[in-house]
Amino acid sequence: MELSISLAPDILFNIGSMPITNTLFWSFFVSLFLIVITLIINRSLKSVPGTLQNIVEILIEGSYLFVQTITGSNKKTKYLFPLVFTMFIFIAIANIFVFIPGQSAITLDNGEGSVPLFRAVMSDYGMVFILTIISIIAMQVAAIATNGPFKYIGKFLNFKGPLEFFLGLMDFIGELAKILSLSFRLFGNIFAGETLTAVLLFLLPFIAPLPFMFLGILTAIVQAFVFATLTLVFVTMASEKV
Amino acid sequence: MRRMELLQAFGLNIKILIAQLINFAILLLILYKFGYRPILKFLEDRKNTIEQGVIDAKKAVEKLEEISKKEKEIIIKAKKEAKLILQTSREQGEKRHKEIVDKAKYDIGQIINQKKAKMQIEKAATLKEIKKEVADLVIATVEKILVEKVDAKKDNEIIRKIITN
Repeated sequence: MELSISLAPDILFNIGSMPITNTLFWSFFVSLFLIVITLIINRSLKSVPGTLQNIVEILIEGSYLFVQTITGSNKKTKYLFPLVFTMFIFIAIANIFVFIPGQSAITLDNGEGSVPLFRAVMSDYGMVFILTIISIIAMQVAAIATNGPFKYIGKFLNFKGPLEFFLGLMDFIGELAKILSLSFRLFGNIFAGETLTAVLLFLLPFIAPLPFMFLGILTAIVQAFVFATLTLVFVTMASEKV
Repeated sequence: MRRMELLQAFGLNIKILIAQLINFAILLLILYKFGYRPILKFLEDRKNTIEQGVIDAKKAVEKLEEISKKEKEIIIKAKKEAKLILQTSREQGEKRHKEIVDKAKYDIGQIINQKKAKMQIEKAATLKEIKKEVADLVIATVEKILVEKVDAKKDNEIIRKIITN
């Protein structure tokens, strides 16, 4: 048995020229799960909630109030809540699903060798990168919508003096750095958790990985929360008048 | 070349990235349309319903208090009135009772007086009659005696009797 740790997700099969990686497959699966839950809730909304509706209500209402306390405005909350909450629930569920027992044992032969069917979605840098790009775009859109395109550009290209020019440049670099800091925080945590669990399972398969798995569950939720909340805070900051 | 290697190492593929983006966009859209919007609206509606219910309950309690206050007032007023009516009727009754008793006493006194007067009159009449009859009787007796032969002896006797009488 060999221990295979790869930074890149494995390709399961190709549809035409489109490669389907295990994380892409897995993210479809998570999306499908969330959509099914949503439709079930949608069909069965009752004034006196059942267990599932209760959980969903607490989650959504609590999150909504949380978003409201951070943005401090009903209008911003209305725009931001769907994006931020979808990010949170998608990342959280994708991370939690990793802990379904036995899923890593399912492998698929892709012609070059057997590859695992499932892999933590957030341990694929591509997925995290896309989420980060969405987050960054949301920030820029919010900034432009609040301050207008000229002021927005003026923030980065400021010719009032050498110091202002330098600070504008720094702001621009700061925006770029946000991409890296947001994406690598999530990717690094989940990838490290995956790798650690894999290594421990390889070395000491019994009991020893358990504490790390508990930590992994904690990380799964916390990182989802951190990613969504940072997006929320950044967009809220961007939407404030300069 | 270097950059390609890095992208390869991370497994970044533009097609997969686009697929992920579309996937997330669809997820966001569906969750918003079928999840957040109806659920948040539902929660808002229920909140409003509950608020309305609480307000209504408060109003009902206030109204109840008002009504019970009014009720108490009415009862107190009614009691007062009843007391007043009772008192006046009692006073009236007592007055009337007294009146009746007084009248009865007066009547009785009147009757007694009348009877007394009548009796006096009758007594007087009777006495008069008796006297009259006695006188008649005496006269008759005297006549009878006078009709008989009166001797000295008898005369003395009669005189003596009268005197001793």
